Amino acid sequence: MRALTLVLVLSLVALSPAAAAAQATTTDDAAALRKEIEQLQKQLESVTDRLKRLEAQPPAPSPGIAPPPSAGAPPATAQQPAPQPGISVMDIARPRQPFGLYQQRGAGQLLFDMGVVGDFVGNLTQKNVEKAGGGSFPGLENRFFPREIELSLFGQIDPYASGVVRFEAGQEERTGEITVKLAEAYLTLLTLPFGTQARLGQMRNRFGWSNEIHEHDLPWVDRPNVMRNFFGQEGLQEQGMEATFVPDLPFYVEALGGIFNGDNETAFGAGTLRVPLITGRVRTFLELGTDHALELGMSVASGQTSDHLPSTILGWEGRYKYRPDGWLHPLITVTGEALYSIRKFNVEGDPTGTGVTETEQRQKNSWGFYVGGEVQPWRRVAGGFRYDWSQFLQGPGLEQAIQPYISFWPSEFLRFRLAYKHTARTTQTIDAFNLNGGSARTVDEILFQASFILGAHPAHPF
Amino acid sequence: MRRTALVVLAMLSMLSLLLPSGQAAQKLRVVTTIPDLKSLAEAVGGDLVEVDSLTRGTQNFHEAEVRPSMMLKLRRADALIENGADLDAWADVAVTGSNNGNIIRGAPGRIDISRGIQLLEVPSTRVDRSMGDVHPMGNPHFSLDPGLAPQITQNIVDGLSRLAPDNRAAFEKNREAFLQKLEREMDRWVKLLEPVRGAKVVVFHPDFIYFLTRFGLVQVGMLEDRPGIPPSPQHLVQIIRQMKAEQVKVILVEPWNDLKLAERVAAEAGGARAIVMATSVGAVKGADNYIAAIEYNITTLAQALK
Repeated sequence: MRALTLVLVLSLVALSPAAAAAQATTTDDAAALRKEIEQLQKQLESVTDRLKRLEAQPPAPSPGIAPPPSAGAPPATAQQPAPQPGISVMDIARPRQPFGLYQQRGAGQLLFDMGVVGDFVGNLTQKNVEKAGGGSFPGLENRFFPREIELSLFGQIDPYASGVVRFEAGQEERTGEITVKLAEAYLTLLTLPFGTQARLGQMRNRFGWSNEIHEHDLPWVDRPNVMRNFFGQEGLQEQGMEATFVPDLPFYVEALGGIFNGDNETAFGAGTLRVPLITGRVRTFLELGTDHALELGMSVASGQTSDHLPSTILGWEGRYKYRPDGWLHPLITVTGEALYSIRKFNVEGDPTGTGVTETEQRQKNSWGFYVGGEVQPWRRVAGGFRYDWSQFLQGPGLEQAIQPYISFWPSEFLRFRLAYKHTARTTQTIDAFNLNGGSARTVDEILFQASFILGAHPAHPF
Repeated sequence: MRRTALVVLAMLSMLSLLLPSGQAAQKLRVVTTIPDLKSLAEAVGGDLVEVDSLTRGTQNFHEAEVRPSMMLKLRRADALIENGADLDAWADVAVTGSNNGNIIRGAPGRIDISRGIQLLEVPSTRVDRSMGDVHPMGNPHFSLDPGLAPQITQNIVDGLSRLAPDNRAAFEKNREAFLQKLEREMDRWVKLLEPVRGAKVVVFHPDFIYFLTRFGLVQVGMLEDRPGIPPSPQHLVQIIRQMKAEQVKVILVEPWNDLKLAERVAAEAGGARAIVMATSVGAVKGADNYIAAIEYNITTLAQALK
């Protein structure tokens, strides 16, 4: 027991200096800790100040990094320092929206725009019209078919030019076979001097108002009769180049000139640059107050037929829109075009009655026009009509048609259209439309159209 | 020979008439896509610029119709100031039709004021059109947020100075004067809306998120089913319920929206009000310039939320 007490006493004696030393150490540590806390407090104040300063600055000019305006945060002003480019530590630490990087790295950087358009048409007509192939879509009467499935690629090539490529697939015959073809491919030189621009490649010609417009964008189910009779089912579509000139005048005038192969078999057909198809167009635009607008133009296309005989087509166009101020769509639209053809062709015959066939050159002047009106009282619904009157380039007779229609857009990218078309042809034209034992002198058609757009689709001018 | 020389001379004279005169070249000819930017460009450019806008405040900028009259304005422009972020993508079609190489995308005369703006409502998931007219880059309706005016005007100064470097000092001075004026107004605006801070509002179309966020107001719903898609009856019933539950007093409407519909919903929601906001300079009477348009929105909102 005594020995144990002695050990305890000795231990206490041995520990007492260590305890004293430890006491001294704790006091030193506390002082150091106090200093450290003071230092941290200073740092915190400094960081807080910096944070306040940074929050008061306008966002840094690097998209995706600058913060959204915090609720109630004082706005930046001119007295505050100008924004510094680059990323600070605070920028990184600051909370961001989850998809902040999208703006910097995603969103198709360096890619062109792409769009797909689907355009389906259905038509119902008389059996004899189907036999004769005399409907608005010859050979496709009483069918529902894909008229135009279009893949468009477009964008800037470099700082000086833009490019467009369009492929089209569609059904052209009853067999159900789908034809795929290159519809357009052209580049536009944008920075030529004196307000000029040039377009080179394969394109829909800017002849009149409707020719340039693709099927799905037309305000009717089918192309106007006069355009089909004078340029064929698909309109004037050529390979070559066009140049436009917009002079610096107080009013808008655009002048266009073009040189093309002349491949269009209905109107021309020479298909060589030795005797090219020359096109021209002048158009102007009048804004009558804020609500009314009128566009007027005149076009010409002059070339040779496959028989190397001259063929010239003149065109006049007009388009009027009434769009009350603040409306998202026009209330009234009126469109009209007239075409006049001057064409020579060979006629074989036996004028002397001697049995000797002679070829005689004759000239035929033909013309035609259409006029259409549309009323759109609501954003999603429009109704209108089109009246067609047209002679034929070579054959005799004429045809007239009236087509009331109604269009419905569930959204900007989806449209349905229902139309009734009545066509009447004069007796002289029967020969051209009584094939296969059918007859298409009088045609009644119910037309239905469904169109959709996937992806990008550029805005259309007036 | 003499006859040929005369013809050539006559043609050259005609050509010279078509070229811009030297007097007109003294001022920068600036065109903006929307009127807010016209007002800001005038504030920054002062007497050194002539500014015109392609659209009016009463128009929906998403669906502006590209008219040849736009191309005429752009034909002579030294600079085109655009909002960017997909709001005014139609400007490309107008620029192409104007045959003016000075303002095509990438040219020095093309000024995009969305540079450096942190966009809100940037989609965080895959975007497709089942979501309506959603903007993949984020909400582009930021121009009437006064807190972003410093960045927007800085972009305008930078852009104009690219074309007229000698005038940078003057542009900077004009900008500072404008921003000082804006700051004075801002103090007053913040005080005006302070009592209703945190108030909940419903919008017809999501045009006001920057403005609302700036002044501490909360957007809790939208009348449109999805952006740009007209409201369905079921959606309206749901919104009315939500407005009642959250005691929403105000529906913010754009000038071209169906005001009667908004008023009906507001009435059904129990004494709420539908108010037409200045979505842009010139959108409503009295909103004739940038500050006046914001003033209109602040006072209208403060009164409606009382």
